[in-house]
Amino acid sequence: MAVVGSRRPSPYGEAVAEQLALELARAGVIVVSGLALGIDAAAHRGALNGGGVTVAVMGTGIDVIYPSAHTVLAEAILAAGGALVSQFPDGTTPRRHNFPARNYTMASLSDVVVVVEAAEGSGALITAEAALDLHKEVMAVPGSVFSPLSVGTHSLLRDGAGLVQNARDVLAALDLGGEVLDDPLAPPKGLGFELRRERDGILSHLSDVLALNAAEVARKLQLPVAEVLGRLTALELEGAVKRHQGGYVRALRRGKERA
Amino acid sequence: MLGSVDSCVLAGLQVRPIHVEADIGAGEVKFSVVGLATTMVKEARERVKSAIRNSGLEFPGRSLTVNLAPAELRKSGSGLDLPIAVAIALARAHRPAPERTAFLGELSLDGAVRHVDGVLVAARGLRDLGYERVFVPVEDAAEAALVDGLEVIPCASLLSTVQHLLGAEAITPATHGALPAHAPGDVLDHDLREVHGQEEAKRALEVAAAGGHHLLMTGPPGAGKTMLARCLPGILPPLELAEALEVAQVRSLLGDLAPGRPLDWARPFRAPHHGVSMAGLIGGGTGLALPGEISRATHGVLFLDELAEFQAPVLQALRQPLESGWVAITRSGGSVRYPASFTLVAATNPCPCGWSGDGIRTCRCTPAAVDTYQRRLSGPLLDRIDLQVAVRRLGLEQLSSEPQGEPSSTVRQRVVLARRRQLARQGCLNAQLKPARLRRLAGLAPACRLTLERWAVNRGMTARGYHRAWRVALTSADLDGSDEIQEHHVLEALGFRLQDAAA
Repeated sequence: MAVVGSRRPSPYGEAVAEQLALELARAGVIVVSGLALGIDAAAHRGALNGGGVTVAVMGTGIDVIYPSAHTVLAEAILAAGGALVSQFPDGTTPRRHNFPARNYTMASLSDVVVVVEAAEGSGALITAEAALDLHKEVMAVPGSVFSPLSVGTHSLLRDGAGLVQNARDVLAALDLGGEVLDDPLAPPKGLGFELRRERDGILSHLSDVLALNAAEVARKLQLPVAEVLGRLTALELEGAVKRHQGGYVRALRRGKERA
Repeated sequence: MLGSVDSCVLAGLQVRPIHVEADIGAGEVKFSVVGLATTMVKEARERVKSAIRNSGLEFPGRSLTVNLAPAELRKSGSGLDLPIAVAIALARAHRPAPERTAFLGELSLDGAVRHVDGVLVAARGLRDLGYERVFVPVEDAAEAALVDGLEVIPCASLLSTVQHLLGAEAITPATHGALPAHAPGDVLDHDLREVHGQEEAKRALEVAAAGGHHLLMTGPPGAGKTMLARCLPGILPPLELAEALEVAQVRSLLGDLAPGRPLDWARPFRAPHHGVSMAGLIGGGTGLALPGEISRATHGVLFLDELAEFQAPVLQALRQPLESGWVAITRSGGSVRYPASFTLVAATNPCPCGWSGDGIRTCRCTPAAVDTYQRRLSGPLLDRIDLQVAVRRLGLEQLSSEPQGEPSSTVRQRVVLARRRQLARQGCLNAQLKPARLRRLAGLAPACRLTLERWAVNRGMTARGYHRAWRVALTSADLDGSDEIQEHHVLEALGFRLQDAAA
């Protein structure tokens, strides 16, 4: 399975990609992605956390890790028995025109391509198109209708891409459904996220995708902005909210392990 | 025949007394000036000669030597014209030097006394040196009269000055104490009331004003960062007399005081362009350095828009004044020290194109470019900024539906009360509190300390950052009128630390 998407995802997209990759890796699926920032990195990370094998298809020479900040990630992929794959000669630096070819390779290496958050014109959509050319299954994760990052995925869904709400949707597409339905690890519905229990009414006003700042939350709650900023910071310290694009979003945390 | 008077030259804000001697001797006709005079002072010969002749006074047709003592001190500026001419006139009249009296002024060829820069600085310094009377250009008299304990004689022309000294025609001294009334600033150019929304940034401004904290606003173009920054002087209390005098002194050195209204109670607001040179921002020039923008902003606000576009060395040079509140600059002519106790308000786009995180337009920068851009804001500088706030752009339709803010005058009342608490407790603003005093005066309850420590561990906050957050928490408590820092004060302070949030 390939997991592709925006290089600048929302915390929601990042969480979905990571969780999806984790659960599928656990089910023995090999997770293919592109070693890029954002969704790609989240997918690799998820697969590694799930103790699985993951393959990074690079748009550069095999000896050029791009972005360089992912050197550690690349090493972890290899250490876990995964692979770095490149179709380009050694020493090839990142070039804009090489990435579509890389995307094509990614699609050809996979049986299913899952798109998580792709804005209009995103490279992830090129991968999806390549997958269609190659008669592979294309699936997409829905997002918020308010987010520009949902435009690409929703148009794929409208055009007939498979809907991904949880790992089992992907497993079914891979014809591995039967095995996994009995898997006690698989959550019954959706991804295994657990929303923190409300304690102060702030969380219910925040979104997973669109950032709101303290002033906007304060207005909804009719509270002084200083107080709301303090409470948001407390939630941030607990890991219940995250800073994103000059505001706050709800942080999605994986539910309790039920193993 | 010997005549002499006192005058002075300035080295920054320091006054160096000068004794001007004129000797008319026998011998061939000549006019020489000795005593390490710069070109500008040597040119005084021509002005003095013409001014004396055109005033109807007689220029000695013999050997004339003017000595400027002490001889080892370099003297520059045109303020020595008047003392030289007066010394010559006194030599001719066989009059002794007037006691505890100093002269300052430039001469025009027709004998009129013209403005010189720095009269206020000179007058204060001379008073401190024990002088009782100064003769200054008439247009600078109001400036000099701000100094108490000093008689100020306004000089319109060389002739009237000399006649006054010879007892022929007295000049009325300028009246002291003509301090303009405190303008409460009811009519502000920029009032917070006109800023729709942006409550988070407004709160940050209020905290910055109350505790003297430095502030960084991050946001896309058109979000209103400049507008917000311009509102800061309006929520600060008016200058105290000592502060106003210090501001006026810096402006006096630069010849920038409004004629007739030398003292201004409004807080300075300086917004140098990002192309500003090191000399322009920090201070500089040949010989002795003149004050730069940071000194002009003293007791007020220094606004640096597009912070990431400033040259890196210029930003580096801000670090020392940010810590100490003054700046020392050494040039060939010597070292001078200027006040630089300002509140820094900086603004920056989040990325090169400016639209990262904007809800309306999408950012086209590569993640690497964003990274490079943000790294240009050096860590050490950001570490000295207590408050960081993200400013978001509002759509037009949103803008009109946003509530209007509180008027600046209301916010200022809270700021004034919070500042009063600080001054009563510790004699300075919270931002200037040293860690040892902070620990002694504003101990943290265990819960508060734990919160700060958790943040420090999670976010890699430095020890400096830890104390800065603590100070901001103290300001938040002061704004609340609370004698103790509570946990929500600490949390608010941490909410303004975007620099740590990247982890």
